[in-house]
Amino acid sequence: MPGRVRRCPLKTPDRPYLALGLEGSANKLGAGVIRHDVDGSSTVLSNLRHTYITPPGEGFLPRDTALHHREWALKVIKDAMKQAGVSIHDCDCICYTKGPGMGAPLQSVALVARTLSLLYNKPLVGVNHCVGHIEMGREITGAQNPVVLYVSGGNTQVIAYSRQCYRIFGETLDIAVGNCLDRFARVINLSNDPSPGYNIEQEAKKGKRLLPLPYTTKGMDVSLSGILTSTEALTLDKRFRADGQPNGPDDTDYFTPADLCFTLQETVFAMLVEITERAMAHIGSKEVLIVGGVGSNVRLQEMMGIMARERDGNVFATDERFCIDNGIMIAQAGLLSFRMGHSTPLTKSTCTQRFRTDEVHVAWRA
Amino acid sequence: MDSTIALLASSQPVSQGAEAALYKGTLHSASAPLLLKHRFAKGYRHPTLDASLTKARVAGEARALMKCLRSGVSVPGIRFVDASAGVLGIEWIDGRSVRFLLGGGDEGVDDEEADETEETEEEDALAEYGVARDELMRRIGTEIAKMHLADIVHGDLTTSNMMLRLPSASPTNQPTLFLIDFGLAYTSALAEDKAVDLYVLERAFGSTHPDAEPLFAGVLAAYEERMGKHWLPVRRKLEDVRLRGRKRSMVG
Repeated sequence: MPGRVRRCPLKTPDRPYLALGLEGSANKLGAGVIRHDVDGSSTVLSNLRHTYITPPGEGFLPRDTALHHREWALKVIKDAMKQAGVSIHDCDCICYTKGPGMGAPLQSVALVARTLSLLYNKPLVGVNHCVGHIEMGREITGAQNPVVLYVSGGNTQVIAYSRQCYRIFGETLDIAVGNCLDRFARVINLSNDPSPGYNIEQEAKKGKRLLPLPYTTKGMDVSLSGILTSTEALTLDKRFRADGQPNGPDDTDYFTPADLCFTLQETVFAMLVEITERAMAHIGSKEVLIVGGVGSNVRLQEMMGIMARERDGNVFATDERFCIDNGIMIAQAGLLSFRMGHSTPLTKSTCTQRFRTDEVHVAWRA
Repeated sequence: MDSTIALLASSQPVSQGAEAALYKGTLHSASAPLLLKHRFAKGYRHPTLDASLTKARVAGEARALMKCLRSGVSVPGIRFVDASAGVLGIEWIDGRSVRFLLGGGDEGVDDEEADETEETEEEDALAEYGVARDELMRRIGTEIAKMHLADIVHGDLTTSNMMLRLPSASPTNQPTLFLIDFGLAYTSALAEDKAVDLYVLERAFGSTHPDAEPLFAGVLAAYEERMGKHWLPVRRKLEDVRLRGRKRSMVG
């Protein structure tokens, strides 16, 4: 809010603080070490990730994903500590994702966090995954009080900070935008390596024809499941050429998988930018920050940039290192919370599939 | 198209929201002023998509207004529609928003700034119109009921989207309540949709006005009276909607 100055409750640290962050709410296993220095700056010492990649046409199942995390946890954490050049003995706390996410993968990572906490006698800090994204985005981009568009495989939310809470202004009424894109990638058999969303983005660059799809913004919310169904239905259309080639020189009325990727992106991103703009107009903010895996999509960043410029504002976005799920964002949010005197006792170190962004008390902001 | 642009150019800008820019203009020198709502092109949207959306939205808003007018709901009259250019011209209402009259300040003004002047200004403002608070609430309830009986759902009922016209600007010399901004309106006969409409208004009252509860109770009482036998299903749904809230806990 303009014109009101409240002091930030977070004090500058009297000594450097170190935190290890562990993330595994979906198919990425991440570990990272962050340092908060006495001058108030932060340094990312390491940020490693291993992704569970399934064959084309398949998604990741909770059980297999949990198995992947269990198999890779030790290697990823060891490498992260080695790259950071510190030992877990030096860390002040161990931060892990409490939720939201898939149950089985969350539990396997929480188990690792608890074990480390007992082995090294370090306090645990349970972190909300969404708040982790927001805090890392703010740290990397330096955005002060932006409207946040959080777009990933599991979440689609427009968020703004108000009175020590990240309030949700708008969100998806059904599936997340990343889920929508990934599932369409599987329909047209795109590879899941490095991620289905990335391959959709590359395909979309080759697309030219914009086909009509439903446009379903509802106030500040969006609905995406019907758009996915409509796009899938177009792959059964007579004019659809799965190989991307016309049937002959006379075949002019056709469309390709690339055209569908292009259409899907243009439509759903326009919806997302529209609800973000509404939230900005509503609260009178000129900054917008994009976080979450879909946030690394360059076309989404570009569209958001045009909107922000039309409003004399700025857009902040990060690259895949910080957009896509990672351990360092959990370390960042966890360490902020730890410096405010918060930690999670072992008996409370559960995880939960349902954990809304607005349930977190953001003690470290004014 | 060109004449529409010329019309916009000759008009005075009033305000600009996320969706549209508002202008005050006249069709010809002798005519009454009108409000022009221009849904300008969005640079971020694909031009084809943008054109079809704008056209559909302007036409949709005009259609909802038309339906309201035919059913005797108090809404501004339509004066001008150019869907391709994204311009809708409606009757100019000389008055203030209900939000302002109830002391909620103007939209976009910081809450705390508005607080200081609230009490005194509000008394003066409503007195100028010669309408008591209870009477105003009663009219709001009645107009919403008339709209819902015509199966129109507003989609964004807030106190900012209601206006009271100055008695001096009215042909009958009476203050008249108007429902405005039908940009999100749609047609539906479902009690569920009407209940959500009321719930949105209830929330809007709660977030912008002190002692909102008795105020909203006044709105509901008048609504109930006007709806007659159609009130019961809406009431049941409203109770459901309140319990449900808009925000449920989400997975992932």
